[in-house]
This record gives sequence, C-alpha cells and structure tokens, in this order.
Amino acid sequence: MNMEKTASAAATRTWLVLVALTLTTFTFGVLGYEGMGLVAAALLIALVKAQLVVDHFMRLRRGAPLWRMLLTGYLFTVGALIAIAFAVAGL
Amino acid sequence: MTYPTDAAVQVRSAGPPGDLAIWFFILAELAVFGAFFATYAFTRLNHVELFNTYQQHLDTRAGLINTLALITSSYFVVRAVVAVRCGRPLQCARWLWAAIAMGGVFVVVKLFEFSVHISAGVTLSTNTFYMFYLSLTFFHFMHVLLGMVILSVVALKAGRGDYTPAEHTGVETGASYWHMVDLVWLILFPLVYVMR
Repeated sequence: MNMEKTASAAATRTWLVLVALTLTTFTFGVLGYEGMGLVAAALLIALVKAQLVVDHFMRLRRGAPLWRMLLTGYLFTVGALIAIAFAVAGL
Repeated sequence: MTYPTDAAVQVRSAGPPGDLAIWFFILAELAVFGAFFATYAFTRLNHVELFNTYQQHLDTRAGLINTLALITSSYFVVRAVVAVRCGRPLQCARWLWAAIAMGGVFVVVKLFEFSVHISAGVTLSTNTFYMFYLSLTFFHFMHVLLGMVILSVVALKAGRGDYTPAEHTGVETGASYWHMVDLVWLILFPLVYVMR
C-alpha cells in the first residue's frame, strides 16, 4: 500500500507540474509575446515537460539508463535544431 | 479480483517498462517526428512572415485543451500501471478507460479544429505553413487514434483479469506507447501554436 501511495503521489506531483508549465506556455501565447525570449522560454519549458514524461511517466529514470540517455539525447538534438533554426530566422 | 502485493510490485527487471520491441518502435516514431519538427523549423527560415501570420489563425485555446487532455490522459495511464502492479486489475481498467476518454477529448477538439480550417477552404496546398500544420497534426492525430485502440485492448484485458502484479507486460507496453504520443505533442504544441 505504501508503494502504491508513494507512486501515485509522485505521479500526481508530476502531473501538476506539467499542467502548470502548460498554462505558462499558453499565457505567453495569449499575451502575444514574440521573438527570441518567447522562443527560448517556450522551447525550454517544452523540453523540461518532455523530460518529466521520460523520467516519471515512462519510468526511465531508474533501471533503464541507456534508454533514458537515448530519449534525453533525442530531446536535446531536436531542441537544438529548433533553437538554431529560430535563432537564424531572428538574425 | 485482487492479487497478493508482494515483491511483484517491485520493479520487475532492468530495462525499459514493457516489451522491448515497443521501445525500438518508439525510437523510430520519435525519429520521424523529430525530422518533421526540424524540417518545419528550417523551412520557416525562408517564410518567417508567412508562418508568423498564419500561426495566429490557429486556436491556441484548442491547443491548450488538447495538451491538458493528453497530459491528464498520460497521468491516468500511470495510475493504471500503479494499480495493476499492486494487484488491482479492475482499478487498472478504470484508469485506462478514463485515459481513453481524455484521448476522446483530444480527438473531438482536433476534429473541430480541422473542420474549422476545412470550412474556411484551407487545404494542404493553401500555403507552406498550412501544409506543415495540417500534415504534422494529422500525422499525430492518427497516432492518438492508434494509441486509443491499443489502450482499449489493454483495458478490456485488464477488466477480464488477464494481468497480474507479476505479469502485466501488455499494460506497460501500451502505457509506453501512449506516453510517446503525449511526449511528441508536448513539443508540437509550442512549436506550431506558440513560438514566433
């Protein structure tokens, strides 16, 4: 029962953080923010959210270091490519 | 139906949850979506004004609702996995049906968005932005539908008591796929709806 409560509480905390971060990104959009500040913030938030899903929902943080590394590397690569493209567009 | 919640609720073994094959499938899917995202970002380089203009025609509230729906759905799937690991297959099935319902919210909102665009005469050939928006979101939409089918099969089996704390690979496999669908949307939403 303890394991169940602990796992459920951890999942609930992760979900609440994901909801809060999503509302933050949405607020940026509604307020009409533009430019590199918005791009950097929205992209960083997206990558943090994705890593939370990898670590806590997919449960790769413990017991699957290779797969966690692959998915974290994927997020880093995709994030870097998007950041480079938006940075060049903003020059 | 309940089962003893002994050592079986511990992490079963090293390696990712579920069938290893699904993880290679997930990697392949992520690679395709990653290429799509990068292509969108680099194509935008030559059409910044066009992308920024038409991006503002998208309904950010619909994007928000869909993001919250998928995040919540993923959370329900986590709770389903916890339930089956603790010997509660019926509770697992209920969490999975709740997750599928949230997937249904995503589908309804997305269909509404598509219908608005189609009724406005928007097609893949309208412009480069809409070509990316429609193809990317429709490709992801098909993954949501497939994920709902997978979760439905797992929920039916869980409801029949087919899974135990010691053997519930099917639940873990379906859950991993569904989290991938969620993860992709978490990048897609800010990229296509917000960033400009």
